[in-house]
Amino acid sequence: MNIIGLWTFVRRELGRFSRVAVQTLITPWISALLYIFVFGRIVGSRIDNIGGVEYIDFVLPGILMMNIIMGAFMQTAFSLYFQRFARHIEEVLVAPLAYWEMIIGHIVGGVLRAIVVGMGIYVIAVLFSAASFAHVGLFIFYALSVAVLFSLIGLLIGLWAQSFEQLTILNTFIIMPLSFLGGMFNSVSMLPALLQKVVLFNPFFYFIDGIRYAMIGVHEASVSTGILVIMGSLLVLGGLLWHLFRVGYHIRV
Amino acid sequence: MVPALEIENLGKTYGSAVAVNGISFVIKPGEFFGFLGPNGAGKTTTIHCITGIARITSGSIRVYGHDVVKDYREARRHVGLAPQEFNVDIFSSVRDILDYVGGFYGMRKAERKERIEHLLEQFDLTEHAKKEFRMLSGGLKRRVMLARAMVHNPPFLILDEPTAGVDVELRHMLWDYLRELNKEGKTILLTSHYLEEVELLCNRVAIIHKGSIAAIDDTSAFLKDGKRLEHMYLEITKKTITAGI
Repeated sequence: MNIIGLWTFVRRELGRFSRVAVQTLITPWISALLYIFVFGRIVGSRIDNIGGVEYIDFVLPGILMMNIIMGAFMQTAFSLYFQRFARHIEEVLVAPLAYWEMIIGHIVGGVLRAIVVGMGIYVIAVLFSAASFAHVGLFIFYALSVAVLFSLIGLLIGLWAQSFEQLTILNTFIIMPLSFLGGMFNSVSMLPALLQKVVLFNPFFYFIDGIRYAMIGVHEASVSTGILVIMGSLLVLGGLLWHLFRVGYHIRV
Repeated sequence: MVPALEIENLGKTYGSAVAVNGISFVIKPGEFFGFLGPNGAGKTTTIHCITGIARITSGSIRVYGHDVVKDYREARRHVGLAPQEFNVDIFSSVRDILDYVGGFYGMRKAERKERIEHLLEQFDLTEHAKKEFRMLSGGLKRRVMLARAMVHNPPFLILDEPTAGVDVELRHMLWDYLRELNKEGKTILLTSHYLEEVELLCNRVAIIHKGSIAAIDDTSAFLKDGKRLEHMYLEITKKTITAGI
Protein backbone atom coordinates (compact mmCIF):
# COMPACT_ATOMS: atom_id res chain seq x y z
CA MET A 1 0.00 0.00 0.00
CA ASN A 2 1.26 3.48 -0.93
CA ILE A 3 0.38 5.38 2.30
CA ILE A 4 2.27 8.56 1.39
CA GLY A 5 0.69 8.51 -2.08
CA LEU A 6 -2.78 8.12 -0.61
CA TRP A 7 -2.20 10.90 1.94
CA THR A 8 -0.89 13.14 -0.86
CA PHE A 9 -4.08 12.46 -2.78
CA VAL A 10 -6.13 13.56 0.24
CA ARG A 11 -3.89 16.61 0.76
CA ARG A 12 -4.40 17.63 -2.84
CA GLU A 13 -8.19 17.29 -2.50
CA LEU A 14 -8.12 19.40 0.70
CA GLY A 15 -6.04 21.99 -1.12
CA ARG A 16 -8.50 21.99 -3.98
CA PHE A 17 -11.58 22.80 -1.91
CA SER A 18 -9.85 25.22 0.46
CA ARG A 19 -8.48 27.08 -2.59
CA VAL A 20 -12.07 27.97 -3.54
CA ALA A 21 -13.45 28.21 0.01
CA VAL A 22 -16.02 30.87 -0.87
CA GLN A 23 -17.65 28.48 -3.30
CA THR A 24 -17.16 25.24 -1.34
CA LEU A 25 -17.65 26.34 2.29
CA ILE A 26 -18.89 29.92 2.69
CA THR A 27 -21.74 29.50 0.16
CA PRO A 28 -23.34 26.45 1.88
CA TRP A 29 -22.91 28.09 5.29
CA ILE A 30 -24.65 31.29 4.18
CA SER A 31 -27.38 29.34 2.44
CA ALA A 32 -27.91 27.17 5.56
CA LEU A 33 -27.96 30.27 7.75
CA LEU A 34 -30.71 31.75 5.57
CA TYR A 35 -32.70 28.49 5.55
CA ILE A 36 -32.44 28.16 9.32
CA PHE A 37 -33.28 31.82 9.94
CA VAL A 38 -36.11 32.21 7.42
CA PHE A 39 -37.72 28.74 7.45
CA GLY A 40 -36.70 27.69 10.95
CA ARG A 41 -37.01 30.86 12.97
CA ILE A 42 -39.36 33.23 11.09
CA VAL A 43 -41.77 30.85 9.30
CA GLY A 44 -41.27 28.13 11.94
CA SER A 45 -42.49 30.37 14.75
CA ARG A 46 -45.93 30.30 13.10
CA ILE A 47 -45.96 26.53 12.53
CA ASP A 48 -47.21 24.07 15.14
CA ASN A 49 -44.79 21.62 16.69
CA ILE A 50 -44.09 18.55 14.55
CA GLY A 51 -43.67 15.22 16.34
CA GLY A 52 -43.50 17.14 19.61
CA VAL A 53 -40.56 19.36 18.60
CA GLU A 54 -40.33 22.94 17.36
CA TYR A 55 -40.21 23.39 13.60
CA ILE A 56 -36.66 24.79 13.67
CA ASP A 57 -35.46 21.58 15.40
CA PHE A 58 -37.39 19.48 12.89
CA VAL A 59 -36.03 21.25 9.82
CA LEU A 60 -32.35 21.52 10.86
CA PRO A 61 -31.43 17.82 10.32
CA GLY A 62 -32.84 18.01 6.77
CA ILE A 63 -30.79 21.12 5.96
CA LEU A 64 -27.71 19.51 7.47
CA MET A 65 -28.16 16.28 5.51
CA MET A 66 -28.75 18.10 2.22
CA ASN A 67 -25.49 20.01 2.68
CA ILE A 68 -23.55 16.87 3.62
CA ILE A 69 -24.88 15.27 0.43
CA MET A 70 -24.06 18.29 -1.73
CA GLY A 71 -20.59 18.81 -0.22
CA ALA A 72 -19.51 15.22 -0.76
CA PHE A 73 -21.07 14.97 -4.23
CA MET A 74 -19.69 18.26 -5.57
CA GLN A 75 -16.19 17.56 -4.25
CA THR A 76 -15.69 14.20 -5.96
CA ALA A 77 -17.73 14.91 -9.11
CA PHE A 78 -16.03 18.21 -9.93
CA SER A 79 -12.58 17.06 -8.87
CA LEU A 80 -12.62 13.94 -11.04
CA TYR A 81 -14.28 15.63 -13.99
CA PHE A 82 -11.80 18.51 -13.90
CA GLN A 83 -8.89 16.06 -13.72
CA ARG A 84 -10.25 14.33 -16.82
CA PHE A 85 -11.01 17.61 -18.57
CA ALA A 86 -7.53 19.10 -17.96
CA ARG A 87 -5.96 15.64 -18.33
CA HIS A 88 -4.00 15.87 -15.09
CA ILE A 89 -5.61 12.56 -14.13
CA GLU A 90 -2.55 11.32 -16.06
CA GLU A 91 -0.37 12.52 -13.15
CA VAL A 92 -2.12 9.94 -11.01
CA LEU A 93 -2.27 7.21 -13.67
CA VAL A 94 1.51 7.21 -14.21
CA ALA A 95 2.16 7.08 -10.44
CA PRO A 96 2.41 3.87 -8.38
CA LEU A 97 -1.15 4.13 -7.06
CA ALA A 98 -3.72 1.33 -7.07
CA TYR A 99 -7.28 1.83 -8.37
CA TRP A 100 -8.70 1.46 -4.89
CA GLU A 101 -6.22 4.04 -3.56
CA MET A 102 -7.49 6.51 -6.16
CA ILE A 103 -11.10 5.80 -5.13
CA ILE A 104 -10.32 6.05 -1.39
CA GLY A 105 -8.34 9.27 -1.90
CA HIS A 106 -11.32 10.90 -3.62
CA ILE A 107 -13.80 9.59 -1.04
CA VAL A 108 -11.77 10.90 1.89
CA GLY A 109 -11.67 14.30 0.15
CA GLY A 110 -15.46 14.24 -0.31
CA VAL A 111 -16.11 13.14 3.28
CA LEU A 112 -13.77 15.79 4.71
CA ARG A 113 -15.49 18.54 2.75
CA ALA A 114 -18.89 17.24 3.92
CA ILE A 115 -17.65 17.20 7.54
CA VAL A 116 -16.29 20.76 7.36
CA VAL A 117 -19.53 22.02 5.76
CA GLY A 118 -21.62 20.06 8.30
CA MET A 119 -19.63 21.32 11.29
CA GLY A 120 -20.10 24.92 10.14
CA ILE A 121 -23.84 24.39 9.85
CA TYR A 122 -23.92 22.79 13.28
CA VAL A 123 -22.21 25.86 14.75
CA ILE A 124 -24.84 28.07 13.03
CA ALA A 125 -27.58 25.85 14.49
CA VAL A 126 -26.06 26.25 17.97
CA LEU A 127 -26.46 30.02 17.57
CA PHE A 128 -30.19 29.42 17.03
CA SER A 129 -30.30 26.91 19.91
CA ALA A 130 -31.46 24.27 17.46
CA ALA A 131 -28.57 21.79 17.70
CA SER A 132 -28.96 18.60 19.67
CA PHE A 133 -27.93 14.93 19.64
CA ALA A 134 -30.38 12.25 20.71
CA HIS A 135 -28.15 9.38 19.51
CA VAL A 136 -24.55 10.45 18.87
CA GLY A 137 -23.42 7.08 17.46
CA LEU A 138 -26.26 7.01 14.94
CA PHE A 139 -25.57 10.65 14.02
CA ILE A 140 -21.94 9.81 13.19
CA PHE A 141 -23.05 6.73 11.24
CA TYR A 142 -25.59 8.63 9.12
CA ALA A 143 -23.36 11.65 8.51
CA LEU A 144 -20.34 9.57 7.49
CA SER A 145 -22.10 6.80 5.55
CA VAL A 146 -24.20 9.24 3.51
CA ALA A 147 -21.09 11.37 2.85
CA VAL A 148 -19.28 8.25 1.59
CA LEU A 149 -22.29 7.27 -0.50
CA PHE A 150 -22.51 10.65 -2.22
CA SER A 151 -18.75 10.78 -2.70
CA LEU A 152 -19.17 7.52 -4.63
CA ILE A 153 -22.11 8.93 -6.62
CA GLY A 154 -20.01 12.04 -7.34
CA LEU A 155 -17.19 9.86 -8.65
CA LEU A 156 -19.60 7.99 -10.86
CA ILE A 157 -20.91 11.23 -12.36
CA GLY A 158 -17.36 12.66 -12.57
CA LEU A 159 -16.38 9.59 -14.62
CA TRP A 160 -19.45 9.58 -16.82
CA ALA A 161 -19.90 13.30 -17.59
CA GLN A 162 -18.63 14.64 -20.91
CA SER A 163 -19.49 18.27 -20.19
CA PHE A 164 -19.86 20.64 -17.24
CA GLU A 165 -23.59 20.68 -17.90
CA GLN A 166 -23.86 16.93 -17.40
CA LEU A 167 -22.17 17.33 -14.00
CA THR A 168 -25.10 19.36 -12.73
CA ILE A 169 -27.79 17.05 -14.12
CA LEU A 170 -27.88 14.77 -11.08
CA ASN A 171 -28.22 17.70 -8.70
CA THR A 172 -31.04 19.30 -10.68
CA PHE A 173 -33.04 16.20 -11.48
CA ILE A 174 -32.31 13.85 -8.59
CA ILE A 175 -30.71 15.36 -5.47
CA MET A 176 -32.80 18.54 -5.14
CA PRO A 177 -36.23 17.03 -5.95
CA LEU A 178 -35.70 13.89 -3.88
CA SER A 179 -34.39 15.92 -0.90
CA PHE A 180 -37.35 18.29 -0.98
CA LEU A 181 -39.82 15.41 -1.44
CA GLY A 182 -37.99 13.25 1.10
CA GLY A 183 -39.17 15.24 4.13
CA MET A 184 -36.48 17.88 4.35
CA PHE A 185 -38.90 20.65 5.36
CA ASN A 186 -41.99 18.67 6.30
CA SER A 187 -43.27 15.55 8.00
CA VAL A 188 -44.30 12.96 5.40
CA SER A 189 -47.65 12.75 7.18
CA MET A 190 -48.33 16.22 5.68
CA LEU A 191 -48.05 14.80 2.15
CA PRO A 192 -51.07 13.59 0.11
CA ALA A 193 -51.89 9.92 0.76
CA LEU A 194 -50.42 8.68 -2.54
CA LEU A 195 -47.12 10.54 -2.02
CA GLN A 196 -46.85 9.09 1.48
CA LYS A 197 -46.61 5.65 -0.16
CA VAL A 198 -44.27 6.82 -2.92
CA VAL A 199 -41.89 8.42 -0.41
CA LEU A 200 -41.06 4.98 0.98
CA PHE A 201 -39.16 4.34 -2.29
CA ASN A 202 -37.22 7.59 -2.02
CA PRO A 203 -33.81 6.80 -0.47
CA PHE A 204 -33.37 10.46 0.56
CA PHE A 205 -36.33 10.02 2.92
CA TYR A 206 -34.31 7.43 4.88
CA PHE A 207 -31.17 9.61 4.93
CA ILE A 208 -33.04 12.67 6.26
CA ASP A 209 -35.29 10.70 8.58
CA GLY A 210 -32.31 8.78 9.97
CA ILE A 211 -30.26 11.85 10.84
CA ARG A 212 -33.38 13.53 12.24
CA TYR A 213 -33.88 10.55 14.55
CA ALA A 214 -30.21 10.73 15.56
CA MET A 215 -30.54 14.46 16.34
CA ILE A 216 -34.00 14.92 17.86
CA GLY A 217 -35.19 11.36 18.52
CA VAL A 218 -38.16 11.63 16.13
CA HIS A 219 -38.52 9.33 13.14
CA GLU A 220 -41.15 8.31 10.61
CA ALA A 221 -39.33 5.55 8.72
CA SER A 222 -37.90 2.28 9.93
CA VAL A 223 -34.34 2.96 11.13
CA SER A 224 -33.19 -0.56 10.20
CA THR A 225 -34.58 -0.15 6.66
CA GLY A 226 -32.64 3.12 6.39
CA ILE A 227 -29.41 1.45 7.48
CA LEU A 228 -30.01 -1.40 5.00
CA VAL A 229 -30.68 1.07 2.14
CA ILE A 230 -27.42 2.90 2.89
CA MET A 231 -25.26 -0.20 3.33
CA GLY A 232 -26.74 -1.86 0.21
CA SER A 233 -26.15 1.28 -1.88
CA LEU A 234 -22.58 1.55 -0.60
CA LEU A 235 -21.83 -2.03 -1.59
CA VAL A 236 -23.36 -1.76 -5.06
CA LEU A 237 -21.81 1.62 -5.89
CA GLY A 238 -18.45 0.74 -4.36
CA GLY A 239 -18.30 -2.44 -6.48
CA LEU A 240 -19.38 -0.62 -9.63
CA LEU A 241 -16.76 2.11 -9.17
CA TRP A 242 -14.01 -0.36 -8.42
CA HIS A 243 -14.88 -2.12 -11.69
CA LEU A 244 -15.01 1.13 -13.70
CA PHE A 245 -11.63 2.31 -12.38
CA ARG A 246 -10.14 -1.14 -12.99
CA VAL A 247 -11.16 -1.14 -16.66
CA GLY A 248 -10.19 2.53 -16.94
CA TYR A 249 -13.67 3.71 -18.02
CA HIS A 250 -13.24 7.27 -19.37
CA ILE A 251 -9.84 7.62 -17.67
CA ARG A 252 -7.46 5.29 -19.49
CA VAL A 253 -7.59 5.49 -23.27
CA MET B 1 21.82 -6.99 -17.63
CA VAL B 2 18.06 -6.29 -17.30
CA PRO B 3 16.90 -4.04 -20.16
CA ALA B 4 15.53 -0.63 -19.24
CA LEU B 5 12.62 -1.25 -21.60
CA GLU B 6 11.41 -4.42 -23.31
CA ILE B 7 8.44 -4.17 -25.63
CA GLU B 8 7.15 -7.46 -27.05
CA ASN B 9 4.52 -7.56 -29.78
CA LEU B 10 2.75 -4.49 -28.46
CA GLY B 11 -0.62 -3.96 -30.07
CA LYS B 12 -3.01 -1.12 -29.36
CA THR B 13 -6.34 -0.51 -31.04
CA TYR B 14 -8.97 2.16 -30.55
CA GLY B 15 -12.17 0.45 -31.63
CA SER B 16 -11.39 -0.79 -35.14
CA ALA B 17 -8.46 1.63 -35.66
CA VAL B 18 -5.02 0.08 -35.19
CA ALA B 19 -2.65 2.58 -33.53
CA VAL B 20 0.24 0.22 -32.77
CA ASN B 21 0.62 -2.99 -34.73
CA GLY B 22 2.69 -5.60 -32.85
CA ILE B 23 5.92 -3.68 -32.29
CA SER B 24 8.93 -5.06 -30.39
CA PHE B 25 12.17 -3.41 -29.31
CA VAL B 26 14.55 -3.24 -26.39
CA ILE B 27 16.34 -0.27 -24.81
CA LYS B 28 19.46 -1.03 -22.77
CA PRO B 29 20.18 0.83 -19.52
CA GLY B 30 22.08 4.05 -20.18
CA GLU B 31 20.94 4.38 -23.80
CA PHE B 32 19.79 7.69 -25.27
CA PHE B 33 17.11 6.39 -27.61
CA GLY B 34 15.37 8.43 -30.29
CA PHE B 35 11.81 7.37 -31.11
CA LEU B 36 10.78 9.02 -34.36
CA GLY B 37 7.81 8.99 -36.64
CA PRO B 38 5.28 11.22 -38.38
CA ASN B 39 2.28 12.57 -36.47
CA GLY B 40 -0.16 9.77 -35.70
CA ALA B 41 2.45 7.05 -36.27
CA GLY B 42 2.00 5.56 -32.78
CA LYS B 43 4.78 7.22 -30.74
CA THR B 44 2.61 8.77 -28.06
CA THR B 45 0.32 5.73 -27.95
CA THR B 46 3.37 3.53 -27.29
CA ILE B 47 4.49 5.92 -24.55
CA HIS B 48 1.00 5.89 -23.05
CA CYS B 49 1.09 2.08 -22.98
CA ILE B 50 4.49 2.12 -21.23
CA THR B 51 3.37 4.59 -18.58
CA GLY B 52 -0.15 3.29 -17.85
CA ILE B 53 -2.13 6.11 -19.45
CA ALA B 54 -3.42 3.69 -22.09
CA ARG B 55 -4.58 0.10 -21.75
CA ILE B 56 -2.53 -2.42 -23.70
CA THR B 57 -4.56 -4.40 -26.25
CA SER B 58 -1.97 -7.17 -26.79
CA GLY B 59 1.67 -7.96 -26.09
CA SER B 60 3.69 -6.97 -23.06
CA ILE B 61 5.99 -4.22 -21.76
CA ARG B 62 8.61 -4.49 -19.02
CA VAL B 63 10.47 -1.59 -17.44
CA TYR B 64 13.68 -2.68 -15.69
CA GLY B 65 12.19 -6.18 -15.62
CA HIS B 66 8.83 -5.10 -14.14
CA ASP B 67 5.71 -5.82 -16.15
CA VAL B 68 3.79 -2.53 -16.54
CA VAL B 69 0.45 -4.28 -15.95
CA LYS B 70 1.16 -7.06 -13.43
CA ASP B 71 3.86 -5.24 -11.46
CA TYR B 72 2.75 -1.71 -12.27
CA ARG B 73 3.81 -0.09 -8.99
CA GLU B 74 7.47 -1.05 -9.43
CA ALA B 75 7.40 -0.38 -13.17
CA ARG B 76 6.05 3.14 -12.60
CA ARG B 77 8.61 3.98 -9.91
CA HIS B 78 11.29 3.46 -12.58
CA VAL B 79 9.80 5.84 -15.16
CA GLY B 80 9.47 9.61 -15.36
CA LEU B 81 7.31 11.06 -18.12
CA ALA B 82 7.43 14.55 -19.59
CA PRO B 83 4.43 14.52 -21.92
CA GLN B 84 3.82 16.46 -25.07
CA GLU B 85 0.79 18.26 -23.62
CA PHE B 86 0.58 20.21 -20.36
CA ASN B 87 -1.46 17.69 -18.38
CA VAL B 88 -1.43 19.60 -15.15
CA ASP B 89 -3.72 21.40 -12.69
CA ILE B 90 -3.22 24.87 -14.10
CA PHE B 91 -4.38 26.52 -10.86
CA SER B 92 -1.69 24.81 -8.74
CA SER B 93 1.63 26.49 -8.00
CA VAL B 94 4.82 25.07 -9.45
CA ARG B 95 6.00 23.95 -6.00
CA ASP B 96 2.68 22.23 -5.24
CA ILE B 97 2.70 20.41 -8.58
CA LEU B 98 6.14 18.99 -7.86
CA ASP B 99 5.29 18.26 -4.23
CA TYR B 100 2.11 16.33 -5.05
CA VAL B 101 3.85 14.26 -7.69
CA GLY B 102 6.69 13.46 -5.25
CA GLY B 103 4.05 12.36 -2.75
CA PHE B 104 2.29 10.14 -5.30
CA TYR B 105 5.61 8.34 -5.76
CA GLY B 106 5.82 7.75 -2.01
CA MET B 107 8.61 10.24 -1.23
CA ARG B 108 8.76 11.50 2.36
CA LYS B 109 8.36 15.23 3.09
CA ALA B 110 12.04 15.96 3.81
CA GLU B 111 13.15 13.99 0.75
CA ARG B 112 10.62 15.80 -1.44
CA LYS B 113 11.65 19.21 -0.14
CA GLU B 114 15.31 18.63 -0.86
CA ARG B 115 14.67 17.17 -4.30
CA ILE B 116 12.24 19.93 -5.28
CA GLU B 117 14.61 22.71 -4.22
CA HIS B 118 17.33 21.06 -6.30
CA LEU B 119 15.09 20.79 -9.37
CA LEU B 120 13.75 24.34 -9.02
CA GLU B 121 17.31 25.58 -9.00
CA GLN B 122 18.40 23.26 -11.81
CA PHE B 123 15.60 24.46 -14.10
CA ASP B 124 15.85 28.11 -13.02
CA LEU B 125 12.35 27.95 -11.59
CA THR B 126 13.01 29.09 -8.00
CA GLU B 127 11.61 32.60 -8.51
CA HIS B 128 8.49 31.11 -10.15
CA ALA B 129 7.87 28.41 -7.51
CA LYS B 130 4.85 30.14 -5.98
CA LYS B 131 3.25 31.10 -9.29
CA GLU B 132 0.24 29.24 -10.61
CA PHE B 133 1.10 27.11 -13.64
CA ARG B 134 -1.31 29.03 -15.87
CA MET B 135 0.64 32.26 -15.22
CA LEU B 136 3.89 30.88 -16.68
CA SER B 137 5.27 31.39 -20.19
CA GLY B 138 5.44 28.44 -22.62
CA GLY B 139 9.14 27.85 -21.96
CA LEU B 140 8.68 27.86 -18.18
CA LYS B 141 5.76 25.45 -18.48
CA ARG B 142 7.98 23.08 -20.49
CA ARG B 143 10.63 23.27 -17.76
CA VAL B 144 8.02 22.40 -15.10
CA MET B 145 7.02 19.34 -17.14
CA LEU B 146 10.63 18.17 -17.21
CA ALA B 147 11.18 18.88 -13.51
CA ARG B 148 7.98 16.98 -12.71
CA ALA B 149 9.23 13.93 -14.62
CA MET B 150 12.36 13.91 -12.48
CA VAL B 151 10.95 14.53 -8.99
CA HIS B 152 11.23 10.85 -7.96
CA ASN B 153 14.64 10.56 -9.62
CA PRO B 154 13.72 7.68 -11.96
CA PRO B 155 16.40 5.77 -13.88
CA PHE B 156 14.33 5.91 -17.10
CA LEU B 157 13.07 9.18 -18.59
CA ILE B 158 10.51 9.40 -21.37
CA LEU B 159 10.49 12.81 -23.01
CA ASP B 160 7.73 13.30 -25.55
CA GLU B 161 8.74 16.31 -27.67
CA PRO B 162 10.32 18.16 -24.75
CA THR B 163 11.68 21.00 -26.87
CA ALA B 164 8.51 21.72 -28.85
CA GLY B 165 7.83 25.43 -28.81
CA VAL B 166 10.82 26.47 -26.67
CA ASP B 167 13.33 29.17 -27.63
CA VAL B 168 16.84 28.45 -28.87
CA GLU B 169 18.53 29.26 -25.52
CA LEU B 170 16.31 26.92 -23.56
CA ARG B 171 16.66 24.21 -26.18
CA HIS B 172 20.45 24.33 -25.87
CA MET B 173 20.23 24.39 -22.10
CA LEU B 174 17.97 21.33 -22.19
CA TRP B 175 20.32 19.49 -24.56
CA ASP B 176 23.25 20.07 -22.20
CA TYR B 177 21.16 18.98 -19.25
CA LEU B 178 19.89 15.82 -20.96
CA ARG B 179 23.42 14.87 -22.06
CA GLU B 180 24.56 15.35 -18.46
CA LEU B 181 21.74 13.15 -17.16
CA ASN B 182 22.56 10.46 -19.71
CA LYS B 183 26.23 10.58 -18.71
CA GLU B 184 25.16 10.06 -15.10
CA GLY B 185 23.48 6.83 -16.21
CA LYS B 186 19.86 7.79 -16.93
CA THR B 187 18.19 5.95 -19.76
CA ILE B 188 16.32 8.36 -22.01
CA LEU B 189 13.66 7.80 -24.64
CA LEU B 190 13.19 10.95 -26.68
CA THR B 191 10.62 11.76 -29.32
CA SER B 192 11.10 14.85 -31.41
CA HIS B 193 10.36 16.32 -34.80
CA TYR B 194 13.70 18.19 -34.69
CA LEU B 195 15.85 15.51 -36.29
CA GLU B 196 19.11 17.40 -35.76
CA GLU B 197 18.33 17.22 -32.04
CA VAL B 198 17.95 13.43 -32.23
CA GLU B 199 21.10 13.16 -34.35
CA LEU B 200 23.01 15.17 -31.77
CA LEU B 201 21.76 13.44 -28.63
CA CYS B 202 20.70 9.87 -29.35
CA ASN B 203 22.94 6.85 -29.81
CA ARG B 204 20.15 4.66 -31.18
CA VAL B 205 17.06 5.48 -33.18
CA ALA B 206 13.80 3.73 -34.05
CA ILE B 207 11.39 5.01 -36.68
CA ILE B 208 7.76 4.06 -36.25
CA HIS B 209 5.34 4.49 -39.10
CA LYS B 210 1.67 3.56 -39.25
CA GLY B 211 2.00 1.61 -36.00
CA SER B 212 4.97 -0.55 -37.11
CA ILE B 213 8.72 -0.19 -36.61
CA ALA B 214 10.06 0.81 -40.03
CA ALA B 215 13.74 0.98 -38.97
CA ILE B 216 15.84 0.61 -35.84
CA ASP B 217 19.61 1.00 -35.60
CA ASP B 218 22.52 2.92 -34.13
CA THR B 219 22.36 6.60 -35.04
CA SER B 220 25.69 6.24 -36.89
CA ALA B 221 24.10 3.68 -39.23
CA PHE B 222 21.55 6.28 -40.32
CA LEU B 223 24.35 8.75 -41.04
CA LYS B 224 26.37 6.61 -43.49
CA ASP B 225 27.78 8.15 -46.67
CA GLY B 226 27.51 11.68 -45.32
CA LYS B 227 23.73 11.51 -45.14
CA ARG B 228 21.70 13.29 -42.49
CA LEU B 229 19.12 11.61 -40.33
CA GLU B 230 16.46 13.72 -42.00
CA HIS B 231 17.25 12.23 -45.47
CA MET B 232 17.12 8.69 -44.13
CA TYR B 233 13.97 9.43 -42.18
CA LEU B 234 12.20 10.75 -45.28
CA GLU B 235 13.45 7.84 -47.38
CA ILE B 236 12.24 5.27 -44.86
CA THR B 237 8.85 6.81 -44.23
CA LYS B 238 8.34 7.42 -47.96
CA LYS B 239 9.28 3.82 -48.73
CA THR B 240 6.87 2.59 -46.12
CA ILE B 241 4.15 4.78 -47.54
CA THR B 242 4.84 3.44 -51.08
CA ALA B 243 4.96 -0.16 -49.80
CA GLY B 244 1.69 0.45 -48.02
CA ILE B 245 0.09 1.63 -51.26
